[in-house]
Amino acid sequence: MNGIKVENISFSYTEGQPVLSNIDVHFRQESTAIIGQNGAGKTTFVKLLKGLLKPATGNIYVNGMNTQEYTVAQLAKQIGLVFQNPNDQIFKHTVIEEVMFGPKNIGQSTEEARQNSLLALEKIGIVHEADKNPYDLSLSDRKLVSIASILAMKPPIIIFDEPTMGQDYLGKERLKKIMKDLRAEGVLVLSIIHDMDFVAETFERTIVMNQGKIVLDGPTREVFSHEQLIRDVYLELPHATQLGKQLGLKQTFLTVDELINFNRKKQ
Amino acid sequence: MTLYVKQDSLIHEIDPITKVIYAFVAALLPYILPSHTVALIVLVISIMLLVVGKVFRKIIPLIGLSLFLIVSLVIIQGIFRPDNVTPLFHFGPIIFYKEGLSYGLLLMLRVINLLCAFGVLILTTKPDDLIQSFIQKGMSPRIGYVIGSVLQLIPQMSATIATIKDAQRSRGLETEGSLLVRIKAFLPLIGPVIMNSLISTRERSIALEVRGFNAKQKKTFLHEVHTYKYAKVIQAVLILIFIFAILWRIFL
Amino acid sequence: MLSCGGFSYEKIIVENLKYKYPDTDQLALNDVSFEVEEGEVIGIVGQNSAGKSSLCLALTGLIPHFFNGAYGGKVLIDGIEVKTSTITDLSQKAGLVFDNPFTQMTASKYTVYDEIAFGLENIGVSREEMIERVDWSLKMMGIENIKDKNPFDLSGGQMQRVAIASVIAMRPEILVLDEPTSQLDPQASEEVFRVIQQLSQEGITIVIAEHKMEKLASFTDRILLLYEGKQIDFDTPQKVFSRDDLHDYGVVPPIFTTYCKAMGMKNKKTNTYPVTLAEVSSLLGGENNEWNKS
Repeated sequence: MNGIKVENISFSYTEGQPVLSNIDVHFRQESTAIIGQNGAGKTTFVKLLKGLLKPATGNIYVNGMNTQEYTVAQLAKQIGLVFQNPNDQIFKHTVIEEVMFGPKNIGQSTEEARQNSLLALEKIGIVHEADKNPYDLSLSDRKLVSIASILAMKPPIIIFDEPTMGQDYLGKERLKKIMKDLRAEGVLVLSIIHDMDFVAETFERTIVMNQGKIVLDGPTREVFSHEQLIRDVYLELPHATQLGKQLGLKQTFLTVDELINFNRKKQ
Repeated sequence: MTLYVKQDSLIHEIDPITKVIYAFVAALLPYILPSHTVALIVLVISIMLLVVGKVFRKIIPLIGLSLFLIVSLVIIQGIFRPDNVTPLFHFGPIIFYKEGLSYGLLLMLRVINLLCAFGVLILTTKPDDLIQSFIQKGMSPRIGYVIGSVLQLIPQMSATIATIKDAQRSRGLETEGSLLVRIKAFLPLIGPVIMNSLISTRERSIALEVRGFNAKQKKTFLHEVHTYKYAKVIQAVLILIFIFAILWRIFL
Repeated sequence: MLSCGGFSYEKIIVENLKYKYPDTDQLALNDVSFEVEEGEVIGIVGQNSAGKSSLCLALTGLIPHFFNGAYGGKVLIDGIEVKTSTITDLSQKAGLVFDNPFTQMTASKYTVYDEIAFGLENIGVSREEMIERVDWSLKMMGIENIKDKNPFDLSGGQMQRVAIASVIAMRPEILVLDEPTSQLDPQASEEVFRVIQQLSQEGITIVIAEHKMEKLASFTDRILLLYEGKQIDFDTPQKVFSRDDLHDYGVVPPIFTTYCKAMGMKNKKTNTYPVTLAEVSSLLGGENNEWNKS
């Protein structure tokens, strides 16, 4: 059984203060954005999916493997997590060595790891930096290195934690393409993310978390049609959605291209 | 990372420097005058101060932590001290001697006394007040900053280390298990820790620079100098006791 | 040039500024020249490594006093030449806030109140004035309720407002912000943008580097567009975001502008496209005009 099945989990760091309660959700193939205010429990949630934390009650099955029964390292073949701050992982002297670290850990041969790493760097557009010292790159490029280092492990599930942070327009476009390509290859892509425009342009499904609970879950377009609820949990509508409303249109628009095409047809 | 306990007490009102002098004099007296009586008297005074300062309960876990050391001191001295002659009691073949136990007891009193004396200082003095007092006495503000920030940055750093550990485990690194596994995990863990702290130190020094950290002007302080009416009197008495103890030791 | 004999009416004057970091061969700033008037809000846009951060550092004296390297040209802050001044003196003219809230906390103070006073202690401000300034900063940032908390126990958004409070307590007339919301969630970003606008209303000159174009368009007077260290444009948001070649510099205009360009909705009078939701609706005939006043 592919995907992640979350069966009615709860979790708390200190007793009596639940960080997550009664979460029941199934991720199959759709690329999914996890949105919500800081402190809503998003990071805790993905740490549980990744097996870094174990649920207090309930079970999580990652491609059929119960996270309670496997170590994080054993799960690493199945599920990759790209951390927010690339400086939390980089320790090798060259980009290529850094990217090869994960693949080698999960049993790829050096040659295989090199192949996969070069491919990942190629995909991300920084293969020309392969022999540089990661710390000679800008922070936003280091972030791309940390993404490549997970791609090269070829897990069928990849979670991103705030991938767009500090990225400029081109960086975001590149990320969008990577995620869409992964999706096309059949990889399950999940991401915690604050950038609503990016959510609207990239993800098929969106989950809204608030105070440790999932308060909205559905196709991205439907989620952003709940304007009041989105505002109630201190989030914003994507700018294209705001513009659509301002133009007096009933439908929920996710991208500016949708709006342009819609109104051109009308004219 | 601070042991300071916020309370409203007479001891909290005393200025940090007086308490520093007290801590040193009280800790040293039982060494200058190596008698059980002196150690006991000083200890009782420190405990009284802790009680008045409403922090006595906080010292107990600290003493508890050093209990292993204390007990082993007494036992080792009781059995093995070279001038042991008078057997007191025995457990099977192991004989405990009066001289050794007596000396062990003195060592024990000294250790507990040291903890209590510095407890009076640390438990009732805000670390930044203490640092400020030293700066006003002429210590470099930079050294003061380093001492002050280390206390807060250590807990921050342990949070970073936890994240780094998670990040590397996520890339299939085993961090638990045999010694070999742990040794192999060392570099991937320590590398990012070092780079991370270098990067944050650099950023933080920019933040400090733009807030006048390098100013040539004479520093001022938000909090008024913690003055205590009887500071000078108490300090003088403490120093007199100290000098008297040394003279006593030399001449009597 | 309005300057005469070293005296100037402009808050910021940058003249042919060039800068290269040590051990690099590319100029981070390549012949940048612009002037900012008192009370203006200036947005700096450009792709990563276009020179936005370097410019922020140059306006506050960190370049060339903290970062060495090759420096050419001139930066005048309120009439003072940066190159011959010191970071400490400049900190009372132009304050700097950057993206990471954590590293902007000194870590040597145990309460927000003391944290904000840190800079004032360093520059020798008297106690009475210090208290007055800290209280003012807390109020401006709307953080009086957290003044007794430990800075490290705050959320990112709160911490960032403490960072701004600590800098404005130095009473600079210029505030330079380098991507101050890039690490915050939408609500916290909104709060930070709100306090920045409030400071602008107090008359403080603001220079802010940001990727969020929709936000910049709504409250900046002029936009400085940088590309590979070079200054491409310095004009109103409407003019800069209406440029046809914007994409070549790795920048996209606000979504509203993109839409209006595609639909040919131009403001006939200014020959520019709208840059905010409010401008779109006023171009459409003014209904719902109250929508995007924030």
